[in-house]
Parts: sequence; structure tokens; C-alpha cells
Amino acid sequence: MKNYLLQRLGIAALTLFGMSLVIFVLLRLAPGDIVDILFSTGGYVNPSERAAIEKELGLDKPLWFQYVEWMRHMATGDLGKSYRYDLPAWEIIRPLLPVTIELATLSMIVAVLLGVPTGVISAVRQDTSLDYVLRVVSLAGLSMPSFWLGMVIILTLVAWIGWIPPMTYVPITENFKLHAIQFALPAMAVGYRSSALIMRITRSALLEVMREDYIRTARAKGQGERAVIWSHALKNAILPVVTIIGIEFAFLIGGLVVTETVFNLPGIARFLVQAILWRDYPIVQTLVMFIAMVVIFSNLAVDMLYGVLDPRVRYGS
Amino acid sequence: MTRFRVVAAVWLALGAATLVIATPAQAQTPRSGGHLNIMLREDLSQGFAVHETSTISTSFPSMPCFSNLVLFDQHKRTESVDTLVGELAEKWSWQDNYRNLVFFLRKDVKWHDGKPFTSKDVKFTFDMLREAPEAQAKLRINPRKDWYSNIEAIEAPDPHTVVFRLKRPQPSLLIMFASGYTPIYAAHVPPASYRTGCIGTGPFKVKEWRKGEFVDYVKNTDYFVKGRPYLDSLRYVIIENRGTRMSALQAGKLDVSFPGEMTKTISEQIKKAVPQMVITTVGTTVSDNIIMNVKKPPFDSIKVRLAVSHAIDRRGMIQAVHQGGAVVGVALPPKPLGVWGIAEQGLLALPGYGKAADEKDKARKIMAELGYTPEKPLKVEMATRAIALYVDMASYVINELKQIGIEATLKQIETAQWHATATRGDYQIGANLTGLGVDDPDANFYENYACDSPRNYSHYCSEQLGKMIDQQSQEVNQQKRLELVVALQKKAEEDAARPILDWRLDYFSHWPYVHNMIPQNNIYNFGRMQDVWRDK
Repeated sequence: MKNYLLQRLGIAALTLFGMSLVIFVLLRLAPGDIVDILFSTGGYVNPSERAAIEKELGLDKPLWFQYVEWMRHMATGDLGKSYRYDLPAWEIIRPLLPVTIELATLSMIVAVLLGVPTGVISAVRQDTSLDYVLRVVSLAGLSMPSFWLGMVIILTLVAWIGWIPPMTYVPITENFKLHAIQFALPAMAVGYRSSALIMRITRSALLEVMREDYIRTARAKGQGERAVIWSHALKNAILPVVTIIGIEFAFLIGGLVVTETVFNLPGIARFLVQAILWRDYPIVQTLVMFIAMVVIFSNLAVDMLYGVLDPRVRYGS
Repeated sequence: MTRFRVVAAVWLALGAATLVIATPAQAQTPRSGGHLNIMLREDLSQGFAVHETSTISTSFPSMPCFSNLVLFDQHKRTESVDTLVGELAEKWSWQDNYRNLVFFLRKDVKWHDGKPFTSKDVKFTFDMLREAPEAQAKLRINPRKDWYSNIEAIEAPDPHTVVFRLKRPQPSLLIMFASGYTPIYAAHVPPASYRTGCIGTGPFKVKEWRKGEFVDYVKNTDYFVKGRPYLDSLRYVIIENRGTRMSALQAGKLDVSFPGEMTKTISEQIKKAVPQMVITTVGTTVSDNIIMNVKKPPFDSIKVRLAVSHAIDRRGMIQAVHQGGAVVGVALPPKPLGVWGIAEQGLLALPGYGKAADEKDKARKIMAELGYTPEKPLKVEMATRAIALYVDMASYVINELKQIGIEATLKQIETAQWHATATRGDYQIGANLTGLGVDDPDANFYENYACDSPRNYSHYCSEQLGKMIDQQSQEVNQQKRLELVVALQKKAEEDAARPILDWRLDYFSHWPYVHNMIPQNNIYNFGRMQDVWRDK
């Protein structure tokens, strides 16, 4: 187990290194840089002023030097300074993290609470009217982008009751009720889509398991249908669902861009887009590395969970 | 006749809107206290460093922090020399036939950090802006240096007097001092610090700027105008999604819209949903225009440029692209939106302003003389900024050009690269938007038409036009100057230096409980907020 974990951490470090190279190079391949943007807000370009700003930001240095400097600073915990805001990157990013993590977590909770039970019901009632209805609802969830659903929610609310959720972030410590309202709607919009995926995976995995011999044996031994499904079938069908939950959570950390924009939530995904548009390299690099870490460690956590959920899976033995 | 009726109807509507808004604000007694939520469509691009940017996303939310020497009266819709009021300057006086401008400053002004405001701050600011050898600080980016090129020296003989000595008379200088882009910086604060915070002398102090989320202001209790501001606090709420912004305004989460943000269509939808919403039609001083690179073929030929100008049906574009939310005009906004522009009737003889069919015929004739027809077209590349505001206009123009024998392919340039591309002249023809910091010939012509200006994207350079610019600039008689400016605008259009297609309108909106929030015919110069109050 220890060796396996070390091996995975080694691979994770290598992956992060690869990611750092990719993001560093890709950012610089995109046309324009922060200096162009700064001049764009001034409506002109002056070559000598341009050179002075490049020097001030260290953009006049060779690319390899910039990369080494970035790595060196990262190693010491220094994430650099935002080009746009002239402030330490961490100072800007820190307040954004809880917003996105909370939204992604709540969305996943909604997704699991909706997706797993409906998947089970759909599998148990295979080919009944209820199964068809649930499948249609889940297909609709997959077909509707969450940002579209979000916009529809907002427009419907404003048209029907002339009200929308708060437009600035309300911390939980400030007003719990408003905070809950502010997160509930986007979490439902995002969670609905994810729940559709979870529902379909749960259904198909459960259907497969329900045909196994040990399920028939359990039934033959006189176990109740509920016990068969929840204790025997679902426990064995849950592995692919856990994988999907892990992947979805990791995806949501970076994939909430439009939902955060539509609901005006100050999270990292929305901020990342702005940072990319501004070519704010320190912010983009830090956020992308953070997202990469979430993806890597979510996968690792899922793999570890396999061992817990399924005794047949034991690492390093 | 129909066209004139439409135009007359637009002006009547504008006039009526002015009257409707002016009346209730004056009828009620202002109340102190309360909070206002104001729309902001994107985060402040350079913080509060107004002198380092030319975007309303910085200047509008920064205005409550700052003060100018003089400002356009925030209760009046139109800006001109007649609507100037003193801010940090108590009085001012032109001397030596407009060669010296003397300001007598208020003595009771403090910066937000408690330090006294003096003439040193004024000298510091303008020496920095004009990049004088003795300047104590340098801006990283200085987009309006050209505005101050006529200042020879600035003297601060005592803490409350400043003298601007000019190379030649320039009555417009005072107008440029009144722009939202001309606040006074504190001499004891590094200019770079305005990118992250704001030490001003204005009616509100910055409480917090939460990046990408909001800017909070609180009342400056030491403000030099006693009894002002009325409001206790302001919040500029950053909402990047347009649908969400409009929903927030409609739902009352926002009290006031953002200047230049409301299109005709959106304002009609809002009015339908919220009939009590106060919507005022005003000018923006933002024009749609065509830039043609005169340094490169084929637009080095005035004939080709004129054909382009003749070909574009401006009135058709106003209907198609803006659904009627713009007006025709040339280099400066027409009356009543502006002071210096040429009214509709005066435009008829200029390229592109006659009957659309006749103008197209003229354009086809020119192109045929050059050997091009719609069947055998001249192929060019139409560059524009890759955002909808620009692309819609470019698409319309491409369709117009196709009808006269110019086949333009659209090249969308990433927004970060647009101004760099235009300044370098790495394009043939482009669809562009230009905002004027002030409705003034000097600000516009030196910035956009002068030979050596980096914002002269067409690279059009005419000695004659240059002389006309200088001549009007130093003319002290307003009527004579107007005549010169009219001639100047006609010359620019006749040379197709930068054909103007229209001037955009804004449908500025706020809830009826907000008072004294009076939009001007220029999006850049209102927003001080000192007189704004609410009765709810």
C-alpha cells in the first residue's frame, strides 16, 4: 500500500511537472500578452513604454529563464504577483477557492442524492413507465448545459417573482440563509446535469450486477428485495459510480466557468477565464496547477477508495 | 421627407426625455443617507489609475474617489464651456489672450489620508501627464499625453494658485481639465499605487475593492463641499454576464445601469417589465468608424477610400445594427448630443450621406473607373476586434462593400491584439469604435487625426488638415471656431480619413427612487455621485 501510494505520488509529481510545461508554453503561444492588453485599455501602443513594462514584469527575459524562475518561486511557496492587479497571486486566489470548492461540493451532493436513488429505482423498475420517465429526465439533464439552465432559472425568477439571488458573495458567517440561497440554485443547476450522468452509470452498473449469480443466491436464501439491492447489488455496482463522482468533482473545480458567471459567484473558474483574457500568467499558471492537482488527487482518492469499497482490490499486496 | 421625419422624431424624443428627467429631480428636497448599488460590467482594468487607461470600466467607478480642477456640471446633460463648474478650483482666469490659465484653489481640501491638498498636487499631476522634464513621476502608460502638449510650464507660486503657461492660445484646455479622465493625483502618493487603491479628494472613499466582485465606497465626511455627498455608501457590482446584469437591474439588485450599456432593444424590454424604470436617451460620444490604412494599397488611393465611404448606408446601419439606437454624424457628435457636430442637413453633401441608392451608384462608378465591379471585385481583408460590438458593424460594412465591387473577408483580431495591430498599421481596412473623452475638437482631432498620434490608426496625414486643427485650436471666438471645426470635419470626411458611420446612443436607466443621477451626452464625464440621493 505504502509503495503503491509512493508510486502514485511520484507519477503525480511527474504529471504536475508536465502540466507546468504545457501551461507555460501554451500561454505564451497565445497571441498577445499583458502588455498588449494594458495598452489596449489605453487605445494605443508605444514601443518604448512597452519595452519598459516588459522589463518591469520580467517578460523581456528568455522563456526558459522565466520558466525556471516560476518553478523556483513555486518551490518556495511564492506564487508570483498578478500582472493585472499588481498584488500577490495568492492574495487574489485565496478568497476564490472556498467559493468554487463549496459550489462543486454542493453540486456533487445534489448530483449523488438525485443520481444514485433514481439510478437504483430505474434499474430495479427496468422497462417500466417509471424507468422511462427517469431516463428521459436524465437524458434531458445531459442535454441541457448547466449555464443555460442557470440562465433560465434567473430569467424565470426575475420574470415571475421579480427576485434573483444576491449578486455579491454572502459569506456563510455573515448570513446563513442568504448564503444557502445563493449556492442552492447554481448547485441544483450543475448538480442536475451531473446527477443525470450518475443516474445512468448507476442504472447500467446495477443492471449488470443484478444478473450475477450471487444476487440470485441471495434471493434464493430468502433475503428481502431491499437488502438484496442495497446491501449486495449496490455495494458491488458502486465502483464505477465512485469513479464518475471523482471525475465529475475534479471537472467541476475548473468547469464551473459559465455557472459562476451566470450566478455572479466569485469563484476560480470565472476568474481563470478573466486571467486568461488578460494574459495574467502568474494567476493562470497557479490556477491551472491547482486544478491539475485537484484532478490528480481526486483520481488518487478514488483509487484508494476502491480498496476500501472492494476487498478484492488491495494495492501492493 | 420620411428620413427627416424620423430624424425630427428622434430629436423630439431626446428633448422630451431631457424635460421629463429634469423636472422631478428639482421638485424634491434631497435626503441624506442610504446606499446605492451601481452596475459595472467588468472589473476595473487598471484599478483606480485613471491616467493610465482609456476605458470607462476604470473611469466611471473611480469618479467618486477623485476631484478635478473643474468639472462639467453634473446636473446638466450637455457638456460645454458654459457648463463648467469649479471643483478643486474655486475660480479660474484666462490671461494674456488665452496664453495663461490661472487657477485659484480651494483652501479647505484634504486628501482621503488627511493630508492637505495644495497646488503642488496639481503641478505634480500635469507635469506627469505632459511628461515634463521636471516631472516627479512617470506613468507606465500615458494615453492622453497629446491633450497637454501645448503646456509650456506649470507654476505653483503659492499653495493655492496654479498657473498654466501655454505655447499658444488654447481655450479647449479648460474643457479637457473637466473630463472624467483628468482627476488630480496626490503628489505624496506614488502613481502606481492607484492601480491597487485610491487616495483622492472626492466625495467618497474607497472602502474595499474585492477583485472581480465589487468596489465599495463610503461617504467622505471631510469632503470639501459641505452637506455632500448625500449617500452614505456606494457599491459598484461587477456582473460580467449581460443577461444577469439586466436581471439584477430589473429585480432591484442594482439601482443604476452602467453608462453606454443599455441598447435600445434591452431598454425597451426593461421598460416593458418595469414600467416605472427611468430611462433616459443620451449620447455616448462613442462612434462607429472605418479605418483604412492609407500607407498600404489599395487604400492609399483616395478614390478607393471615397468609394468605401459612399457605399456604406449609415442610416441603414443604424436600423440594422443598432435597431435605431444611434444617430448619424461625422467627426464630432451632432447637436443636441454635442456642441461641435454637423447636423443631418449639413451632412447631405458629404460622401455616404445622400440617398443610399445614389451613394451606391457613385461608389460603383468610382470602382468601375478603377476596373472593379461586383462581378470582378477588389479583394481586401476587413479587420476588426473579435467582440460582438465590432463584428456586427464589420459584417454590415462587408455586405455594403460587396454591392460596389469590393469583396472583403472578415478577419477577427483577438481583443488583446486589436489596438497594437491598428497602431502598427498591420491591416488594410478595419471596423473600429472610438470614444471621445470630451466633446471637444482638440481632444478628438489631436488624438485621432494628427499625423504623429499613435491613435491615428489610418495613418492619414494631411498638412492642410493639420493646419486647420491648429487654427481652430487657438481660435478664441466660439462662433468662428465652430465654423472652422465644421470645415475641418467636412475636410476629414471628403478625404475619407476615417469615415464615421454613426454615434451610438445610450438608454441610461435607474430606478425612480434615485435622484440627481443625470446622465450626460458623454459616458466618460458623469458619475461623481456627490449630489445623488434616494428617497427609499
